[in-house]
Amino acid sequence: MPDDLAERVITTLATVKHIPREQIKLQSSLADLGFDSLDTISMLFELETTFNVSIPDESARSIRYVHEIVDGIRQLQAATPPAAAPSPE
Amino acid sequence: MTSQLRVAITGIGTISALGNNAQESWESLRNGRSAIGPMDDPDLAGLRFHNAGVARNYDPTAHFTPTAIDHLDRFAQFAVIATREAVLDAGIVWTDELRQRTAVVTGSGVGGQSTQDVGFVSVYKRGRDRVHPLTIPRTMANAATSQITMEFGVTGPAFTLSTACSSANHAIGMALQLLRSGAADMVLSGGCEAPLSFGLLKAWEAMRVVAPDTCRPFCKDRRGIILGEGAGMLVLEPLEKARARGARIYAELAGAGMSADASHITQPTVVGPVRAIRAALADASMSVEEVSYINAHGTGTSGNDPAETAAIREVFGPLADRIPISSTKSMHGHALGAAGAIEAVATLLAMRESLLPPTANFTEADPLCDLDYIPNVARPAKVKAALSNSFAFGGLNAVIAFRAISD
Repeated sequence: MPDDLAERVITTLATVKHIPREQIKLQSSLADLGFDSLDTISMLFELETTFNVSIPDESARSIRYVHEIVDGIRQLQAATPPAAAPSPE
Repeated sequence: MTSQLRVAITGIGTISALGNNAQESWESLRNGRSAIGPMDDPDLAGLRFHNAGVARNYDPTAHFTPTAIDHLDRFAQFAVIATREAVLDAGIVWTDELRQRTAVVTGSGVGGQSTQDVGFVSVYKRGRDRVHPLTIPRTMANAATSQITMEFGVTGPAFTLSTACSSANHAIGMALQLLRSGAADMVLSGGCEAPLSFGLLKAWEAMRVVAPDTCRPFCKDRRGIILGEGAGMLVLEPLEKARARGARIYAELAGAGMSADASHITQPTVVGPVRAIRAALADASMSVEEVSYINAHGTGTSGNDPAETAAIREVFGPLADRIPISSTKSMHGHALGAAGAIEAVATLLAMRESLLPPTANFTEADPLCDLDYIPNVARPAKVKAALSNSFAFGGLNAVIAFRAISD
């Protein structure tokens, strides 16, 4: 079952791709969900904003599946001390 | 002179403050109804001026998918919408060969300014260390041309040029050359602009050329330009091919003339516009006697209007007093890189309807502006040939010439 962090990742992906969140599973690949290169960079941007992390380019390039994104965000959050929340856009 | 390929205009499309399509725009133009009004955007408070020609009834979601809205800045959205209308209007039946032989040439003065503004606010003001990753593909000035090629799958020569307020006329002039040279069999050409973003409006404010009230071209009490937004697009094709396929022909794009003032980065000259008008007439093999309407650049600034008047007087001599002239910027505002294209559509509709759109908001003529500017009320007139002027900041001038098609 997706936990809270996974749910927020799925919501972010659904928002970026303009698709129903029910369509997105942890096992889904970005390719299956129809993410092209622009969708992917937009997703990375939104993930960085949502979770207040910085996703390195090398990690970004290797992401294929939704569960990899969830794991990656979890690791980044664990490695990074909580920063001040970003100001609203 | 060797006979040149004749080029027909077979489709038009436009969106601006005047309306979301050519029909709506014409309703405003024929009634002399200025669409200039308050920008009504709290983010734009703190400007010294508050009025603009805003495409008020435009709803992106009525035209584009959410993903497309993510990918297209407002200026490119306008371009695609106007091109859709023009292509439909022209009754184009696409074939693989035609797609390969179709070119796209658009003008844009400032590209995706509102997208750029958002990115700059993010890094300069909000302290973020990054901007949205679609900032570049949305902002680049050629985005509109690229989106048009993708929308219609056309793969011929395609580019955007940028000459501030003359961009669209330069684009249409280049489209004419592409057809004459044989580089394309059809060209989708015009201009697009969406300059009403805070950063750019502040820059215009600093130039002290924007009117606090409205746009009154050629009037004694004119106080400057009013900015506008939108797009105009034309379908251009060889006249004989257009006739062969039974297309409805608005007019012939008979010629284009261009010149540079080589004088001052913002102050216009008279001689530069004179040379561009004469070049357009020569290119069109058009006599001064033929011209029966001029859609003026007519910005409403202290600099342009007397200089443009003097240029018209110099080219046409005593005939100048008999040529009706109007500035439709008084109704749609100055849409910079889209201006020439919106005005080309206005001119073509005037030719079709035999009704000349007026210069709206007209009060009392400036003594230095002593021609017939069709004040406030549209005037019935058969137009055999018309010019449309664009004279840009930077002293880059482009004039296009239309001729009615005789049956």
